[in-house]
Amino acid sequence: MPKILIPTPLRQFAEKKDSVEVDGSTVGEVLAALTAAYPDMKKNLFNDEGKLRSFVNVYVNDEDIRFLEKDKTAVAAADTISIVPSIAGGK
Amino acid sequence: MIKIEQEAWQLMVEHAQKTYPNECCGAMLGPIDGDTKTVRVALPLENAYPGAQRERYELRPEDLLFAEREARKNGMDLIGIFHSHPDCDAYFSKTDLENSCPWYSFVVLSIQKGQFHHANSWLPNMEQTEAAKEELEYPNA
Repeated sequence: MPKILIPTPLRQFAEKKDSVEVDGSTVGEVLAALTAAYPDMKKNLFNDEGKLRSFVNVYVNDEDIRFLEKDKTAVAAADTISIVPSIAGGK
Repeated sequence: MIKIEQEAWQLMVEHAQKTYPNECCGAMLGPIDGDTKTVRVALPLENAYPGAQRERYELRPEDLLFAEREARKNGMDLIGIFHSHPDCDAYFSKTDLENSCPWYSFVVLSIQKGQFHHANSWLPNMEQTEAAKEELEYPNA
């Protein structure tokens, strides 16, 4: 099963696990399985319209899914999925 | 609260002063024990903002992915992000807030005329509409 690495601040919603293996053949399916298993994680990743929050980037291994097929990006059993925020700012 | 250890703090201040008059940025790694986050390692990262870096910073997501992997490799956590405000105070601006992420601590270093002046840490809320000040402890510069 694909493995999702859980960022530290979200582990409190995933029984303190630092990674979780869930079923799914696309990024969308895997994230849906993750939030089904750990519903409290959902509001951290998705907005009220069910879309990924603007600051959430998802990587399959080293590839940003924005440059692949977004939530339809295929994932294989050996793949590792990372959740990484977009961060910027200024005075 | 967030405590920054000497070696990490020195690196953060040096990075901010060296980058002056532009804004610098980087990641902070270390252990989290209950409510106490201890920054043991600072990772200076490149400001990737394509415009005027005196007023803006941007982190590449792949650089944060690297920081996250470094933390895991060393049995630590990604605690937060630091950046500098050249010639102004260490507040959390509207731009900072709107481009932040509610998961992490945001340490802002005020650099005045090229020298470190003061710092604050901020915790944005989920809606990114406001940020609470977090208790911050750092060594004397």
